[in-house]
Amino acid sequence: MIVVLLLTSILLVTLDLRDSGFVSGVRDTFGTVFRPVERLTNVVTKPVSNAWRGVLDYGELRKENLALKDLLVKQEGTAIAAAASVREAQELLALNGLPTLAGIDSVTAQIVGQSPSNFSQTFELNRGKSSGIRVGMTVTNGAGLVGKITDATLERSVVMLATDPEYAIAVKVGNCPANATTTTAATTTTSLPAETTTTAAAAPSSTPDGVTTTTLPGETTTTSSTVPPTTTTTTSTTTTTSTTTTTLPKPTTTTIKGFTPFSTTLPPRPGGSGSQITIPETGGLVPRETGAMEGRGIGRTPIIRFVQASERLGALCEGVPVVTAGGSQSLAPPDLVVGTVARVVNRKGTAGPLLEVDLAANLGSLNFVRVLLYQPATEIPR
Amino acid sequence: MKRFFAIIESPATRTFLLGLVVLSFQTTLFNTLRPFGVVLQVMLLFSCASGVAAGSEAGAVAGFIFGLMYDMVLTAPMGLSAVVFGFAGYMAGGVNAFVHEARWWAKIIAVALATATAVLLYPAASLVVGVDGLLGSRIVTVALACAAFNAVFAVPAARIARWALVKPVRQAVWAE
Repeated sequence: MIVVLLLTSILLVTLDLRDSGFVSGVRDTFGTVFRPVERLTNVVTKPVSNAWRGVLDYGELRKENLALKDLLVKQEGTAIAAAASVREAQELLALNGLPTLAGIDSVTAQIVGQSPSNFSQTFELNRGKSSGIRVGMTVTNGAGLVGKITDATLERSVVMLATDPEYAIAVKVGNCPANATTTTAATTTTSLPAETTTTAAAAPSSTPDGVTTTTLPGETTTTSSTVPPTTTTTTSTTTTTSTTTTTLPKPTTTTIKGFTPFSTTLPPRPGGSGSQITIPETGGLVPRETGAMEGRGIGRTPIIRFVQASERLGALCEGVPVVTAGGSQSLAPPDLVVGTVARVVNRKGTAGPLLEVDLAANLGSLNFVRVLLYQPATEIPR
Repeated sequence: MKRFFAIIESPATRTFLLGLVVLSFQTTLFNTLRPFGVVLQVMLLFSCASGVAAGSEAGAVAGFIFGLMYDMVLTAPMGLSAVVFGFAGYMAGGVNAFVHEARWWAKIIAVALATATAVLLYPAASLVVGVDGLLGSRIVTVALACAAFNAVFAVPAARIARWALVKPVRQAVWAE
């Protein structure tokens, strides 16, 4: 009898791992039988659950509620600004014919159950196939990526969280941006006699990308340059024998941590107030690395593997954003917020560093989630 | 009619019905009560209790049925909990092989040991079928919490399991 049971288990595991229709059919049938019993038990045991929560979680909930109220006030302004930026970005992507999240329909669903296992991290949603939900679809909340649908019946579906050991997704990680330099006042007024040429160049010796302006004789001109904060070299070259007077006020530089350092400040018009327009240089955009994010189970942050550290691309550091990579084989559409890099673990050899990810979505207190009605090509049944 | 009642009274039907009720408690009440963040394993408790109540072989079969039912609501490969719970039932039933009539404390120890073993065995079995990442230091907390809880409720659970598994000597009057 024991041998029969063992063989049956092996058979079932094999069938399930090979995505057998028989196993999923049995699961669906059992779900239909079990659901009414579960609902009835839920009604009966609800008072006990509520009492338990009331006794243990009341104080914590009060504190959390107050903290959340404060946080909400702070976030409101930021959210409005962010929404405007997102809209702009989506318009730009649409203009360039690039895929955006705006074009993907979604369904809002509520979490109605949690996995009773100590090992798997899944939630049950109150929406299923009747709402268009299919296996493989991405689940998000207001903050970012939550997980993916692993099972869907007519009215219910199961979400596997991004922290589950079985979850993996391709992501993009921004490299560590150098400290930004903004030039707030770099106006130069040069009065030159006739036939005098003055060249004002401000550039570090290592990167000769300073702005050079040649002034015409008898003109008054203004020059504005972006100067890196560490090394500033100002040269004044006179090519004629006549006297040259050049005044170059030292630019005021402000260092902003984590801000992209690429910007060219256009020279203000003569007689203007020195207002500046900044244009991002495409060549200076912070490069992104692609890796595979994998869950590691309850209480452990997901990690990103296969990220090659490259001098050419720059260093990886904590705090940089992590977004989905997208692509035809990816589980999620591109540029969906995942979180930020919490820790960089450098490894020897060619293994590349490991990145621990702090997920943007708080998976410990999920209630309503959004299912993107985007089924990846890899999840469509053959 | 007599045949119908015979089916209803059979250990297999009783075990299935018991499993259905216990599973509903597992997915509702015990899913909410999470001491130290651990989900208490009532299905495992009844698997072990079945072994204590009716012997190793009956415990293995009951554990297999309970595990299979549990697998139906999990996303883990089907059959994994079945084999682990079946082993737990068989192991807990071993107490009857060593002792002629096991005392209450022997039953408690058997259930606690079988529970802890099953909790530790599950990630190892998962690893065999390719589900990685379940083995960690947290497993010790889970095993201890589940073993302690199951030890406390071992005796009443064994009585319920006995009702389900041991065929009554006399049929009910209405079944005659």
